[in-house]
Amino acid sequence: MPSDNRRRRALLAQRARTAFFPVAIASLCLTQPACQLEPQTPEVHYSLSADTTAVDPQTKEPLVPRAVQDQILGSLEMLFGTPAYPSFLRTQAWIDDGYDPNYPQYPVEDPGGSGEISDALMEEIQADNAQRFRTQLAHVEAGRYEAVELPSTMPDLIREWSSMLQETPVEKRTGEFQAGARELLSNWYPSLRDSSELYRQQCLHCHGTNGGGDGPTSRFLNPLPRDYRKGVFKFTALKDKARPRRQDLFRILDEGVTGTAMPSFRRFSKAELHGLTDYVRLLGIRGMVESDLVVTYQNESAISVDYVTEAYERTWKRWKDQDDKLIALEEAVPAPTPELIARGRELFLDAKTGNCASCHGEQGLGNGPSAFTLDPDTGEKVSAYKDDWGHPIVPRNLTYGLFRGGRRPVDIYRRIHAGINGTPMPALGGVLPAKDIWAIVHYVGTLSENAHPTAQAAVSHAPSKSDSEPKAH
Amino acid sequence: MMRLILFLLLIAVPILGCWTFVRAEELGAWFPGNFSTYGPDIDALFSLIMWPIAITFVGTEVVLAWFCLRYSAKRTDKSVYTHGNHKLEMIWTAVPALVLLGIAFSQMETFGKIKFQKNFPKGEYSIEKPIAEVWASQFDWRMRYPGKDGTLGNVDDLENSFEFAVPADTDVVFLLRSRDVIHSFFVPEFRLKQDALPGHTIPVWFNAKLRPEDEQRGESTFDLVCAELCGWGHYKMAGRVRVMRKDKYQAWLSDLEKDWFTNGKESAQ
Repeated sequence: MPSDNRRRRALLAQRARTAFFPVAIASLCLTQPACQLEPQTPEVHYSLSADTTAVDPQTKEPLVPRAVQDQILGSLEMLFGTPAYPSFLRTQAWIDDGYDPNYPQYPVEDPGGSGEISDALMEEIQADNAQRFRTQLAHVEAGRYEAVELPSTMPDLIREWSSMLQETPVEKRTGEFQAGARELLSNWYPSLRDSSELYRQQCLHCHGTNGGGDGPTSRFLNPLPRDYRKGVFKFTALKDKARPRRQDLFRILDEGVTGTAMPSFRRFSKAELHGLTDYVRLLGIRGMVESDLVVTYQNESAISVDYVTEAYERTWKRWKDQDDKLIALEEAVPAPTPELIARGRELFLDAKTGNCASCHGEQGLGNGPSAFTLDPDTGEKVSAYKDDWGHPIVPRNLTYGLFRGGRRPVDIYRRIHAGINGTPMPALGGVLPAKDIWAIVHYVGTLSENAHPTAQAAVSHAPSKSDSEPKAH
Repeated sequence: MMRLILFLLLIAVPILGCWTFVRAEELGAWFPGNFSTYGPDIDALFSLIMWPIAITFVGTEVVLAWFCLRYSAKRTDKSVYTHGNHKLEMIWTAVPALVLLGIAFSQMETFGKIKFQKNFPKGEYSIEKPIAEVWASQFDWRMRYPGKDGTLGNVDDLENSFEFAVPADTDVVFLLRSRDVIHSFFVPEFRLKQDALPGHTIPVWFNAKLRPEDEQRGESTFDLVCAELCGWGHYKMAGRVRVMRKDKYQAWLSDLEKDWFTNGKESAQ
């Protein structure tokens, strides 16, 4: 029996030896991809738009020569930095005036900011910061400075915080240090670099590195994400196709766009959302300067350095100080009286004044005759219009009750008054008096009146016994 | 030797399992706080299911490990064939069946209280007069409050995205709807989870409390998440429930209404 045992042990040992290498190699193979699953930060770069790098279909030569493309890319990097270190270049005039768009939270002074964040808004942001950093502030109050953890979307704040910790040794962290720490957190306003990091985590997958609306997930979306590079934003409170103000971009981030894949980002703090509007604006201005430079090259076959700054300043001017373009209402929304609604219906159908029905259809179903045409090849009904981004566009079905720019009366008023940027929806503000626009607003409201059945009618699948009356369906 | 290693590995499963449960609260991995009136009932149901499962789990694991040690066959042994034991099989079928029946009956009261429409609150808010409609869509929450006329589905309805504001210590009834696919309305602190089905209007109710530390402020916020994988942006469907003292809630609602029928907040310079 002992010999039997020994033989068995030898057999087992041999098996273990033969199994060692396959097992070792297999586990090596398995750990390799597992290690690569660790979160990595890929380096992202700004690039030129497809329009700039387009090639001639016949000659296969780029329409804008490579050297000029490189010059444009370099100029843009000089003006706007890189995704890791984005910043606006300050022109000499701005330096003289003490104006610095990189710091909207500071007033225009030497060294200065852009003064865009009003004192009232900054107070709101500070109150929100107290909530956002409540855990960190609790650590500060308790003097546990090493325990303060900051999110990875705030690289500049992290840097500032760790340098504060390094400069002051533990024994010197007195009340003054504590006050400084408290101030740093509650007065925080993101730098463009912080916002670029947040953009990379939350927005880039749809809107793309350059804000071209071409991120990886954009392929699954209809409607497509906004391409900022034209500087055209559909839903603003402004007329004359003006560039959006900070508040307009903020509202979209805060509320989302109903019926599209753009969600509300209110779970982020006010500071973070305002920072994102700064960054979206940087991408928008960058895109506009890029197309400006391409047009210059096409007209003059060269781009001078002076021209680059000129284009930059010209584009900036179009984004700044748009407040006078606001469609402000003098008085409250007029009550939707039957007469006003009847007047609205008249205007909606009338081909000379409102003419809404020609595209939105007589019943507002979005099936008006002007909006569609027949495809000459297939004979199918296709959209007659394209939007500014080159995509076919159809009029909104007004009976759904889904209004992307908002369902408030003032939102619909602004859509009719100023039209929708980048789309065939015209501006009626110069054509119709305010009262008539309100009439159309209220008529449009009634079109979606029954879009959602009322509560009683809807809850029908399990009626309670106490209800003896028949329910409407 | 091999037998012993196997035995130790198998016995480690119930020991580690029990250890994580015992330590869970310390490790911050146990339930979040409980801030709705029926939350404790749901937790009681959880315990009711957890204890039989825990006993069964530990019992079977210990038996499995012990059998490995005790009955592992020697290489030279001959196989033994058996037709089983009728009595034993009857027992292990009947006992779990009875336990399951017991669980089924004992949860009925709680389920009826929370989910049956005839038991819904009939106070300030009811199925006929809900506080709001909550619309789930890819990938957003949108709350629709009845306007001045108190009924939903007309032009004076107010809308708020992302945030569901409700008064504290009030029976709140709302209607849950979906625009596209199946979503699920989940507030862990309320022990409330309800699927939203496209084409269905599902009434849901809860009665939430403020967190003790928020009594002074008069407002607590809770996470509202989607608990049904609804698409690539599922993780973005994180909203917020704001439970406010009644006066604060009324003020919030009139602010919303003011914003709705005037120039809007974004008009501010």
